[in-house]
Amino acid sequence: MDDLILQFCKVDKSFFGVPVLKNVSIDFPRGHIIGLIGENGAGKSTMMNILGGVVPFDGGKMLLNGQEYVPQDPASATRAGIAFIHQELNLFTNLSIAENLFIGNFPHLSVTPFLNKARIRSKTQEYLKMVDLDLSPDITVDRLSPGERQLVEVAKALSQDASIIIFDEPTTSLTARETEKLFAIIDRLHKAGKTIIYISHILRDVQQLADDIVVLRDGEVVQVGPKQEFSIQKMISLMVGRYIGTLYPERTSTPTEQVILEIKGLSKAGIVHDINLCLHKGELLGIFGLMGSGRSELAQIIFGMEGKDSGEIIVDGTLHTKQSPVKSIQQNMAFVTENRREEGLLMTSTVAENLGLVTLRKYVTPAAHVVRQSALIEAIRNSVSLLQIKVNDAFRSQAKGLSGGNQQKVVIGKWLMNNPSILVVDEPTRGVDVGAKYEIYSIINDIVSKGAAVLFISSEIEELIGICDRIIVMGVGEILGCFEKSEFNREKILQTAFREGGK
Amino acid sequence: MTIREKLTREPIREKLGKLPRQLLLSEYFILILCILVFVALIPFIPVIASAYNMSSLLSNIWPLYAVAIGQTLVLIIAGIDLSQGAIISLTSVIGASLIATAADPVVFSKSPIWGWLLFENGGILTNHSAGILIAVLVMLLVGLLIGFINGTAIVYARIPAFMVTLVTQTFFAGLAIYYVKSENIINLPDAFTAIGEDSGGLISSALIITLILAISSQFILSRTMFGRWLYATGTNIRASIVSGVPTKKVIILTYMFSGFCAAVASVLYSSRMDMGRPTLGASLLLDVIGGAVIGGSSLSGGKGKVLWTFFGVVFLSLLGNALSLLNVPFFWIEIVKGSVILMAALLDVIRTRILQQQTV
Amino acid sequence: MNGNQSRQRLILTILKNTPTILFVVIFVAFSLLDHRFFARANFENIIASSAFVGILAVGMTFVLLTGGIDLSVGANMYITGAILAMMLVNGYPLWLSILTGMLAGTAIGFFNGFLISKMKIIPFMVTLGTLTAGRGLALLVTQSAAINVTKEMPFAAARVLGVPLPIFVFLALVFVAFIVLNYTSPGRQLYAMGNDPEAAKKAGLNVTRLTMLAYIVCGFCAALATVIALSQQGRLSASFGEGVEFRAIAAAVLGGTSLFGGVGAVFPGTLIGTLLVQMISNGLVYLQVDLYLQDMISPLVIFFAVFVDAQRMNLIKRLERRNIRVENTVGQAPVSKKIRAVI
Repeated sequence: MDDLILQFCKVDKSFFGVPVLKNVSIDFPRGHIIGLIGENGAGKSTMMNILGGVVPFDGGKMLLNGQEYVPQDPASATRAGIAFIHQELNLFTNLSIAENLFIGNFPHLSVTPFLNKARIRSKTQEYLKMVDLDLSPDITVDRLSPGERQLVEVAKALSQDASIIIFDEPTTSLTARETEKLFAIIDRLHKAGKTIIYISHILRDVQQLADDIVVLRDGEVVQVGPKQEFSIQKMISLMVGRYIGTLYPERTSTPTEQVILEIKGLSKAGIVHDINLCLHKGELLGIFGLMGSGRSELAQIIFGMEGKDSGEIIVDGTLHTKQSPVKSIQQNMAFVTENRREEGLLMTSTVAENLGLVTLRKYVTPAAHVVRQSALIEAIRNSVSLLQIKVNDAFRSQAKGLSGGNQQKVVIGKWLMNNPSILVVDEPTRGVDVGAKYEIYSIINDIVSKGAAVLFISSEIEELIGICDRIIVMGVGEILGCFEKSEFNREKILQTAFREGGK
Repeated sequence: MTIREKLTREPIREKLGKLPRQLLLSEYFILILCILVFVALIPFIPVIASAYNMSSLLSNIWPLYAVAIGQTLVLIIAGIDLSQGAIISLTSVIGASLIATAADPVVFSKSPIWGWLLFENGGILTNHSAGILIAVLVMLLVGLLIGFINGTAIVYARIPAFMVTLVTQTFFAGLAIYYVKSENIINLPDAFTAIGEDSGGLISSALIITLILAISSQFILSRTMFGRWLYATGTNIRASIVSGVPTKKVIILTYMFSGFCAAVASVLYSSRMDMGRPTLGASLLLDVIGGAVIGGSSLSGGKGKVLWTFFGVVFLSLLGNALSLLNVPFFWIEIVKGSVILMAALLDVIRTRILQQQTV
Repeated sequence: MNGNQSRQRLILTILKNTPTILFVVIFVAFSLLDHRFFARANFENIIASSAFVGILAVGMTFVLLTGGIDLSVGANMYITGAILAMMLVNGYPLWLSILTGMLAGTAIGFFNGFLISKMKIIPFMVTLGTLTAGRGLALLVTQSAAINVTKEMPFAAARVLGVPLPIFVFLALVFVAFIVLNYTSPGRQLYAMGNDPEAAKKAGLNVTRLTMLAYIVCGFCAALATVIALSQQGRLSASFGEGVEFRAIAAAVLGGTSLFGGVGAVFPGTLIGTLLVQMISNGLVYLQVDLYLQDMISPLVIFFAVFVDAQRMNLIKRLERRNIRVENTVGQAPVSKKIRAVI
């Protein structure tokens, strides 16, 4: 019987009423490397955030070394010996490596309040040696590469005497050589008896490193076991296999031959490289990719929120050089961003104010831009009923009071009111309940059948297969593959997305 | 704040109870407060309700309110304009220098404008038939220009609003003083002075001008596309950009409007005082911002109404009026004003927190 | 790293070293204009007259490091000065008067810090309120009268270790502040908090207490500056301390301290900044620039300083953005072939 350092016992967690973790129970044997895999939104990050004291859990309990563990905040988790190395590193870029390591508890010169710099430096050097980083402890973090910063975080974990170290997608910004180095360090930690939880979408790496593998899907544990039981194929099918009963509305139209959006050789250093695609009128084109594949960034560039280095964006036959959101909207484009709370909605404004925001220009008098109230109110009412947005009074209720699904409908409705011919949606069903998801698919279906073109970015293979005409797979800022409707296959698509793993 | 903190912190509603909370949030809270204070003070200082006092109080309120209207719009986009005082001072001396009917060489010979803008027999527009009109237009233009500078620095240089307007405040206040070497320009034509006159009774040109400004601003805010854009920009600038709101233009135009309002107020003040004063706007800032924030406009943006600001300005002016009638020394008034600003900011923070914890 | 990024890093280096570059440029420029500039007496004069602004700027540096600001330091000076002066002319011993004054000044800092860190009101609003209420309070006490203290505070000309007292106090303060900021826990934690308040909280740092500390230090420095300034000026007039906050902010920001927090140093930074501000103002006097114009130049100087600060911050933010694609170097496995989407 393995000595268990950590246990999750029937842990539940919901955000804004939507369950994110359901009845999760996992045993973590001491000194093992546990690989945690699952699609975007499967619950991996939430689970680790709970462990690391960043968010509280709703139900169940956690046992650390057999005792109940309820972290109040990240600092308590650190004190309990848990080090969480986030994807967004928590280093202070204006301080040195040594200062970052000891920022919470500097050693002092006997009883004086002065820092014992010599000791800080020498201890830091010790930890740096443990992670094989040949750097001076006095270098400020802003001068380090992502790989070096990653290792500094590991050194920090060691300095805090962590017994459990969590790595969340650690290799996304690393070169191949830095990745190798990280793995060597992880191996060293393993030999020293540390327990490691390794989250990554690069399945090959997980297979290489882990002793045990845990597969999460839709907030539930699908399978746990030693790595020998998992081939890459099996991992993929476990991650993807869903309740077959999910329904998608029937597609009644087919795409036309007319090209409405053409992207040629679009590149932006460090973000995307040589993107080429064509979008046709009446087409629903899906873009699939793992976290950090560059899909949202591509959408932002197309819409004009970010600039590009080279390449062409041709909208309806016209080449556009300097894009901007205002111009894109004039060209009848629409963009439902992936984070509705930050970029999609004015949370404290009414539903009506949100709905009317984009299309305002069409409801004003030519001279003084006075809003034609009655016409706009009418249009808003239509939108609310058409999209079946459940709200008490669209003209008085604030957007933040709505459920996730309804909020998303408000965002979509806002854009639809402007009659776009190109609609880009980024993760439109994230954080949305099943019923509302179906409604959103129907809405998108409907506008496609009326001749608009939709670029549907998503991390859920099923929904893409369920409604798209074509699916493009992106990874590391490039297009990795393209699938026609007849070629749709869950596992093949996922495999294509994973093709870039390990570099 | 992390999600954890938001979820586990004790909601304010449990600390305050329902009625006080509703009261705090009410649009008319400040108006009610004004009336209460007024009524409470009558037994102590009956003169406060006299026609003379009311009329004098009101005539002080109108120009102040004009300035505050501009500030309100700036607050709505989550900005702040500290330069309105300097705009008032500068436009006052510029306008006065153009139309003064006479200028004493002993006083003005050292000033940089002597000899080409200002002469012994007055300014360059003094004998012009439309002189006063042009002078007023120039004043308004200067206000717009300074507002443009503010807005541009905030949008393109990305310097925080309070820093930009603090700098422009100091610079243009200095310019105003340099312009006339600290001297007041007097001998303004009667036609100009008439603008600011109290014709006795309640109706005056100041009232009419300010009312027009208020009504048109409220109209812009509530009935035009630009108004919607203002609120959107102040509520969530990122979402506004994605939704096609030309936020850069909105911000620059709003600061220009703020400068414009200050210039209008300057016309009213200068004509009432019958002089161009280089320090005209010096101590207005607190009353203006205090009035707007007390009235309910939020420092964090997205919230504000022209009517609310009126209540806030009335409250502060009433307070100052009452204190001076009670013969409270000037310095006490400053202390009270400073404390009121702190309380207004505190009120704003509390209101924002209550709203955050509510879901309609 | 691609070419665009290396160019950006070069610009960033220049922006980071603006204080030193500026100092050298202005120093050389003025020396060329007037070779007396190099004289020790002149230099001593510059530092001595800028000492109290420098002391203020050191305190301001602490506050700026947290990403806040303190506009009330001028009013703080007046209040401290009023208490000090009035006690002196009423016969209280020098040490007691100074002590009481300094306590008052520090208490104002505490008051600011409390409202900002606990009540969460934005710093500029709080210090604006304190500024007004404070000056009003002090004017009430002094009735705007000027108080002469030359007799009671004759020590401005005194020398400590061969250096005029004001300069000594200033340099000693810079030294102490340097030690605190670089060699104590709260010092380093201030920098961390200014760089990333969220990460600071996650690391278990007491952000509230650190903020409080910064404003208390600033209040203390304002009080100290008062003692020095009063001894130099000999009298407390109704306009004592008016407008100094501007010069203090200019000195700190010109010295490389960022309005956005987390960046700055008292040495050489704020020290150089203080000298710069004084040199510019001395230079203007020498050039016989109209006094009124001088009041306009100082805001321009500040504008330049904050402009550089803002550009530096924008550049840093842009460089810190995470890349999705990692550029290849020789000797690594080739990136797999791109697949063109079928048209």
